[in-house]
This record gives sequence, structure tokens and C-alpha cells, in this order.
Amino acid sequence: MSFLIAMVMIAPLVAASAGILLRRRARTRDIATMAGLGVAALGSFAILFEVASNGTQVIRVGGWSPTVGIVLVADLFAALVLPIALSIILIVEVFAVGQRRTAWGANPELAGPLLGVLTAGVALAILTGDLFTLFVAFELILVSSYVLLTHQGKRGQIRSGMTYVVMNLFASTLFLFGVAFVYAATGTINIALLAERIPELDAGIRLGIGAWFFVVFGTKAAIFPLFSWLPDSYPTAPTTITAVFAGLLTKIGIYAMIRFHTLTGMDELGPVMLVVAGLTMVVGALGALAQSDVKRILSFHVISQIGYMLMGLGLFSAAGTTGAILFLLHHMPVKTVLFLVGGLIENHEGTSSLDRSGGLAARRPLIAAMFAIPALSLAGLPPFSGFVAKLAVISAAIDEASIGIAVVALAAGALTLLSMTKIWIGVFWGTDADQAEATPAAPNNRRLMTGATALAVAGTLAISLLAGPIFDLSQRAANELRSADLYIDEVTSR
Amino acid sequence: MIASSSPIVRLGIRAASPPAVMVGVYLLFAGHNQPGGGFAAGLVFGAVVALRTVAGLQRPSRAHELMAIGILIIASVALLPIIWGDALLDQHVVSVDIPLLGKIKTGSALPFDLGVTAVVVGLLLAVLDGLGAPELAEEPATLRPRSLR
Repeated sequence: MSFLIAMVMIAPLVAASAGILLRRRARTRDIATMAGLGVAALGSFAILFEVASNGTQVIRVGGWSPTVGIVLVADLFAALVLPIALSIILIVEVFAVGQRRTAWGANPELAGPLLGVLTAGVALAILTGDLFTLFVAFELILVSSYVLLTHQGKRGQIRSGMTYVVMNLFASTLFLFGVAFVYAATGTINIALLAERIPELDAGIRLGIGAWFFVVFGTKAAIFPLFSWLPDSYPTAPTTITAVFAGLLTKIGIYAMIRFHTLTGMDELGPVMLVVAGLTMVVGALGALAQSDVKRILSFHVISQIGYMLMGLGLFSAAGTTGAILFLLHHMPVKTVLFLVGGLIENHEGTSSLDRSGGLAARRPLIAAMFAIPALSLAGLPPFSGFVAKLAVISAAIDEASIGIAVVALAAGALTLLSMTKIWIGVFWGTDADQAEATPAAPNNRRLMTGATALAVAGTLAISLLAGPIFDLSQRAANELRSADLYIDEVTSR
Repeated sequence: MIASSSPIVRLGIRAASPPAVMVGVYLLFAGHNQPGGGFAAGLVFGAVVALRTVAGLQRPSRAHELMAIGILIIASVALLPIIWGDALLDQHVVSVDIPLLGKIKTGSALPFDLGVTAVVVGLLLAVLDGLGAPELAEEPATLRPRSLR
């Protein structure tokens, strides 16, 4: 078991170094990178089955006890998020291999190895059991994302990349300060020990720590009003890169927040979180309505959807946390698919602008279908996964008598549907007479790209079909997080 | 080249390189139990390499390979203990008596640190190459911008 958990982090790193060594041999390099990411993704599914049947798995790195050493904890929450995160990266890598020979593709010599490093960072962030390793994992993710975002050197990328780097460096600095504060207050940075000691602190210090990390993880998660780095930077990157970022990066922020704030019992921060959640949803959805480019609309939706997860967390009830976890699991693949379809549109039309494309539904019904399914899911219509996730979050809000936030969530859902309709009308309906300027790419590797996207759509449908078992697992994960004793026992006792 | 036009720079950097490398090697071994380690050693080696690059002297050229092999060494040192049934990243300590130097204590931390050193030096080389330092060293008088690829 410990071998599996280690492999999930090390296989992508080995893939990255193989990618660097084989950088001139395109085919071998791509196969090596995909193989490494594939091994990691398969391993993560094995971890999920193991954890779901045998309970939390803990690795003590180097054999040190949790008071002094690093621990890796695969509890149910981590085991649920991990396979989805790693499968997304694998699918995007397959799509990227197809997209590389077109003008919108990322530079394959860089993108393959960097995606490997990013994957290792994501796996470490999900599995780590202490705050400092979480910081290291965030840095690993961010440093590779800086390069992935700006490596083509286009003007827009550099400009928005500056905002992205500055905001994230600022948040990382705050994170490091926060780790120091926590250590000063409690004498540990192990999350299990923190779950034991933080509730015993004075209310002022405790809530100070909670609010500090709310800002830190909130900047990474792009909550209101800390989202300014996101909608400008994401659309400028190559589609594959944006798909990974949109599906994963902000979600790792909200993942860390769910883990930290639930385990340490920051219930008093709930009302603040709910207000911020409502604002995040509405501002994101309204921002999306104002855009006229597929990728920009989708980027604003990333922000809007973070609000739902924050809302589930902010309720601080078992049902709320379940909803937040379920929403996280549903959102990651759906968002990635939408960006991949955005990439396909760009590839077929030569642009992702709504004004200059049209009539794609008649010419490419498959792409239209692959867009419609995740779009309806994102807006929360039955029978797709988004419906189950939104239902869980909103019914949890009604249980807690937080009617206000439930109404805001429903309204934001309607606005989301409205902007999806805007994409539909702009891209898929109408005539294609007015696309004289557009230059579609040569159709060399579309089969691979379409195949990867179709696989991802199938994945989101699988989540809708398996909604029952996934809901049960999320509920178990939420209960484990809320009654921190179990987590503390697992980490400290063995 | 600066090195060919200025004997002070050439001889100075040549004379400084071996002691600096010795300091790096010291840091590499000291890092097992004291301040130092693979990262610090890599930075010292990197400083030597950077000086030699800017001056136009000979230096290692395979940046990417160094990085990749460094990662592979680190990965195998991390994984091997699990195959033998120990914890991830577990250490094996070896003590050797060497004439003149006395008792030397090292272990699986050494290859790990060597891997880290390789990654750091490789990264610095790649950064220097990316910034066009070798080309600058060749023509110090005309600072021409590199044409965009």
C-alpha cells in the first residue's frame, strides 16, 4: 500500500525526467509521459478501493513519528479526489499530444515534463498530512504553472502572467507566515496534531489562524474578492494548459480549505464564508454573462462554481461538507471537459470568439453534443452530475435554515445556464458565412483530441450514473473530517 | 571572450574554481548531520559554473540530462527502501574507516543529495543557457538581443 501511495507521486516525476531526456524524440517522449501519468492514475484508483474498504492509510516518511517527521495520509477524502485529479491530467495530456501540431498547442518539449511535475505536486498536496509539505506542494504546482502559462511568450500571456505570479507569490508568502504563526501557537504543523490542539486555543488566536488560512487558500481558490488573477490569465494559455488549471488548481485550494477548516473546527467562520460564497457565485456568473469569448466565459464560471463548494464548507454541517466534497468531485472533470471542447471549437473555427464563429452544431454534431452534456451538468440540470451536487449543497443549506444562500445559489445557477446558452447560440447555431478571418488548423490529429474529449465526457457521465455510491463515499469522507478524532487516531497512533 | 582578453579574470576564476568545488563537496557531506546538504552544495557548484560561463571558460554542457538524471536518482533512493520493506525515503547509514580522513559516516542520504545537487546545477545551467549567457560571453562588446524563436 505504501508503495502505491509513493508511486502516485514518484511516477509523474519519473515521467517528467524521461520527458526531459527524450525531448528530441517526440513519439517516445509522449508515450513515456503518458505512461507515467497513466501509472499514477491507475495507482490512485487502487488507493481509492483500498481506502474505501480498509480505512485510512498512513505513511510515515523515513519512519519518523508525526511529531517530528512528514506523514502522508490517504483518508477517504484524499482517496476520492486523487483518482479524479490524476485522470483529468492524463486525459488532458492525451488531448495535448493531439493538439501539439496545431498553432494553439503548448510546446511539447516543455509541457510534458512540466505536467509531470505539476501532477506530482497535485498528488502531494492531496496526500500530505502537514502544513509545510502542503506549502511545498503548492509551490511545486505553482512554479510549473507559471512556466506553462507564459512559455509561449505571447504578449497577453506575459501581461496576465504577471498578475498571476504576483498574486500567487503573495498568497504563498502569507501561507509561509501562517505556518510560522501556527507553529508558534501550537508547536506543531502536523494537521492531525493541529486538529487536536487548535480547538484548545483562545478564540482570538484560533479564529485568527482560521481567517488567515481562509485568505491564503481563498487566493489559490479564487474566491471573491481575491479572484482577479484568474479570468485574465486562464484564457490566454494554450487550451490544454487552461483545461488542467481550471479543473485542478483552484480546486486544490478549496480542497486544502475543506480539509484544514473542517478538521480544526472553524465553525464560527461559517457566516463569513457563506457571504463570501454568495458573492463569489454571483460575481462569477455575472462576469461570465458579460464576456464574448468561449474561454473567458468558462473562466468566469470557474470562479462562480468555487462559490458552491465554499457554501457547502461554510455551512459546517455534515450535509454541507458532503455537498462540498460531492461538488468538488463533479466539478473537476466537467470543467476540464468544457475547456477541452473549447479547444476543439478553437481548432475547428480558428477562434474561440463568439462573434466570429457559428453553425458548428450542423457541421460537427459530435462537438455540440460533447459541449451540451457538461454545460447542462455545470448549470445543474438533471440527470447530470451537477444536479446531484447542487441538490446536495442547496438541501444542506435549507436544512441549516440558510435560505438566503440557497436562493443566491439557485439564481447563480440560472445565470450560469444563461451564459451557457450564449455560447450555444454564438458557436453552435447560426450560419458560418461570417468567418472569413478565421483559419482552422490542419485536421491532422483531431481524432486523438476528439477521442480524449469523448473519454472525459464519458467520465462525467459515469459520475452522474454512480452518483449514489459517490454520494455515500462523500458522506463517509465528510463524517471522517467532521469528527476529527478518527483522523487524529489514525495519524498519531500507529 | 572576457577570459581571453583579461588574464586577471581568466587566472582568477581558474584559481578560485577548485577551492569552491571543495567547499561544495564539504557541504555535501556535512549536510547529513549539520547545515549544508545537496541543495547548498548545488548552489556553490552552480556559482562556479555561472562564473565560468560568463567568463567564457569551459564548463559542463548537458543541462537537461543533469536535471533528469538527478530526479531519477532521487526517485530511486525514495522508492528502494519500500521494496526492502522499510518506510518511504528511509535511510541506511554506512560508516567507513578511511586512512588519513578517519571515520566517515554516510549512507543512502549521499546519493539522494547527489541527485539534488545534479538537479540544482542542471537547472542553473539551463537558466544560463536560456538567458543566452554563453553567447554574451563570446561577444562582450556588442550586447545584441537574441532573435525571438
